[in-house]
Formats: sequence, C-alpha cells, structure tokens
Amino acid sequence: MPRLELVATLEGHQDRVWQASWHPSKTILATCSGDKTVRLWAPASHSNFTHWQCIDTLDGAHKRTIRSVAWSPTGNELATASFDATTGIWESDGQGRDWECVATLEGHENEIKSVAWSGSGSLLATCSRDKSVWIWEVEADNDFECLSVLQEHSQDVKMVAWHPQQEILASASYDDTIKIWKEDEDDWYCADTLEGHTSTVWALDFDATGDHIVSASDDQTLRIWKMYKPNNSEGVATPNGEAVWKTICTLSGYHERCIYSVSWSKVNGFIASASGDNAIRVFAKDESSQDPNAPTYTSIADVQDAHGVHDINGVAWFPTSAHGDWLASVGDDGLVRIWRLVLDD
Amino acid sequence: MSQTLINANPTVYNLSKNSHRLETVDAFDDSVDDPIDAQEVFDLIRSISDPEHPLTLEQLNVTQHEHIVVDDVRNRVLVEFTPTIPHCSMATLIGLCIRVRLLRSLPERFKVDIRVRKGTHQSEVAVNKQLNDKERVAAALENSHLLEVVNQCLATASLRGREAVPSH
Repeated sequence: MPRLELVATLEGHQDRVWQASWHPSKTILATCSGDKTVRLWAPASHSNFTHWQCIDTLDGAHKRTIRSVAWSPTGNELATASFDATTGIWESDGQGRDWECVATLEGHENEIKSVAWSGSGSLLATCSRDKSVWIWEVEADNDFECLSVLQEHSQDVKMVAWHPQQEILASASYDDTIKIWKEDEDDWYCADTLEGHTSTVWALDFDATGDHIVSASDDQTLRIWKMYKPNNSEGVATPNGEAVWKTICTLSGYHERCIYSVSWSKVNGFIASASGDNAIRVFAKDESSQDPNAPTYTSIADVQDAHGVHDINGVAWFPTSAHGDWLASVGDDGLVRIWRLVLDD
Repeated sequence: MSQTLINANPTVYNLSKNSHRLETVDAFDDSVDDPIDAQEVFDLIRSISDPEHPLTLEQLNVTQHEHIVVDDVRNRVLVEFTPTIPHCSMATLIGLCIRVRLLRSLPERFKVDIRVRKGTHQSEVAVNKQLNDKERVAAALENSHLLEVVNQCLATASLRGREAVPSH
C-alpha cells in the first residue's frame, strides 16, 4: 500500500500556520502564520532532506495574521495576504536572501484571505472578507495597478487560484460557490458560477492541464469539476458561449470535518486534502475508470493525526518532478511537516 | 440606556441548586480516569455574563445542561444555546464567548461545535456558520475592541454556577 512517510518536522512559528507554498523550482518552502510572519525553510544540505532549517523570517510588514503566501513564477518575489487588509510584495537580493517588503497593496475593506500570481507572472489576484476579488497588473519597479474589482460573490471570498497556463481565475467562497473569471478587452467578468457544495468552499486547485478543478468544502466533500467548452462532443450546453464547469466526481465519506485545503499534483496527478478531522488524505484516479465524464477516485493513503490532535490547514505538493512525491502540511499546532509519498515497491 | 437594549426585559431563571456535581472521592484520586462530560462543559460556560445584562447565561436560560453533548472518546463537544429572543443581535457574540471560554479551558484535543438551538433564532443558519468558521473567529479575536467585550463577559465564568458575591 502507498503511504505518506514523515520526512521532517519544522518548528519555529509561534502561532497556527495557515498555508504552505513551495518555491517554483528550488527546495524552499514558504509558510505563513497567525504570528504575523512568513518563514522560509530549506534542507540543511543538498543531499540530506531529513534536516531542514529556517533560512529566513519575513516580518514587520503586517500588523495581523498572514493568511496566505504565494511565490511569483520566477521565485524572485513573494506576495503575502494579511488580515490587516493589505497585501505585501517582497523581493530578495537575487541570492534568495534578505527579503524586503517593497510594496504594500491597499484597497480591500477588511481581511485578505488569499493571494495568487498568474502563470505568466503579469497578474496578481487577491480576495477578501469584503466579498470582492481584485485583479492587479504587475508593472515595472514594484508598481501594481488595480485592473478590476469583482464583486459578484455574496459572502467572504476564501481563496483565489489561477489556471496554470491561461489568464483564467477561480475563486472559492463562504457563499458555497466557486466563480470563474475571465478577461474580455480589459474587462474582467464572471464566466461561470459552480454550484453544488452545501457549505463554505475553502480551497481549490487546478490539475496540470487546467481542464479540471478540485474543490474542498466545509460540507466535508471534495468535488472534481470538468470544463466543457462550446461545441463539446459530450453535448453539454454552453448557453452563453462560455465554457461551463460541471461536477464529474464527488468524494464524500472520507473526511469527518471541514476540509480546509486541497492540492492537485502537477507532477503525478495525486490529490491531497487536509481537514479539521486531523487527517491528510491522498486520492488517485482509478486506472479502471475509462469514462472521462464520470471518473472515480480512490483514497490511496492517509495519515490520521498528522499534526496530533490539531486541525490541518494547508497541504501543498512539490511543484516539479525533482521532488514530485513531497507534500508539505501545516497545522494549528504551529508546525510544518514534510511528507514523502511512498508508492508500492 | 434601557431603550437601546436588544432585550430590555429578559426572563430571569433561578439557578438550579441541584445541578452541581457532587464531589466524590474518585474526583480527587488522580489515578481514576476523569473524562470530560456535559456537566464539566456546562460548569465552564454557565456563569458567562450576558453582553447586555448583569446576568449569567444560565440565569437567562441561554445555556442548559441538557443541550450539551460531549463525546470524550471521540474528542467532540456540541453546545447548543438558546438566544433570549429570536431576533437577538447578540447571538453571535454570545456564541463567540462560549467558543472562547471552551478554547481556553478544554484540552486541545476537543473539536467544539457551537450552534443556536433549532428554531430559536431567525438567522440560525447564518449565526451557526459564522460561529463555526475558525478563520472568521480568529479574525474576530484579533479585533481588540471585540476581544475586550468577550473578556468582560468571561470575567464571571470562573464562578461555575456559584452565586456571585455582591460587590459594593
């Protein structure tokens, strides 16, 4: 049986840890916390991955919890979203050292819940308890211009995530829906609303192709959504000439409490989820399921009490094949853990 | 002042004299397993003060022993409370006070769910959702004004059902 093997436990945060985010290419992990800091972690040596150390602590820029941290696609910048209603932009000296907060983006009325860079690095999205999603254009000299303020969610927006290749944004909300946002001649608009979850949608992630989304909810289920473009061969109606997203699989009966985070590996296609029931689970698509419109997914590995008795708030797969089997998790215990997915021999 | 109160004339209930745990020899014996039960949770929250009256949640019948379910083995606590009136705008604050009290007092292993009793509040679904969203609870507790109000309500919590000694 496949299993998750604990590689390392990283101690240092002084409060619950909310999110983990891997550098796009290096073995560096960024984590953010209620202690108002971001910590950067790296293995102590290039050959021994069981010993990790905190290589930098980014602090002083936020007055309240840092809820979300995201690397730019080059890995030269970090964005931090805080309950203090600002987004911080951090830049390093080029050696990956001496991070400095070079810009602060203001505008949201209250807590910012999530921040994400587009695949090209030219756009940044933020979302807030003020129910809005903001899209920012990244300009030269650490200048950011707000292109759009999207106000169609009726409640707190929990997370934003970009399509891996295209400038398509997805947002997940306390209003139980996911919305898909696209641009049409400088105007951003809601292209689809994904309904099905019966409580807060806390997290979502695209697969490597960007044709599928997995979402995680307080309703204790994960849903897998597929995009159907106009004139699709399946005959799914696309009334507005827009692609529509439909649930093709619901994973229920696995987690016993709210699912706070989900990560879809771009390397091997595995889905990892983290829950308030203290467990991490890994799901794989059944090889036997041939119908692309009704796939089945099976839980192939799990760790109960992965952070002891504490909620697990975030999971993130390593983004490249260099360490595609690595999974980072963060919890209410203030700890960061690195796991390795060990498949059958 | 009284015109601004949400519920100016709440019904006041007598403290139930018989609802105190009888101290047994086992309770003082550290070698005997002493699981958390509904009585313990009730004792923790019964003397929380109402945000707008100098009365406890027990005196206002907001919290009752029968509406607490504890599963010590599975580490679950469910507290249902009854707002004094169905449109009580203090319901979220009262629920937050109960949550904070249990957060501070119960062992970390417990997962706590807090809800208004079914049918006792017109915004039941919205209040329940907010009280059980830990991100919003965390954000609320970073608000120093709100935290101060919560702490005031919790100042009497340690009475655990005993009558307050009147101050002068």
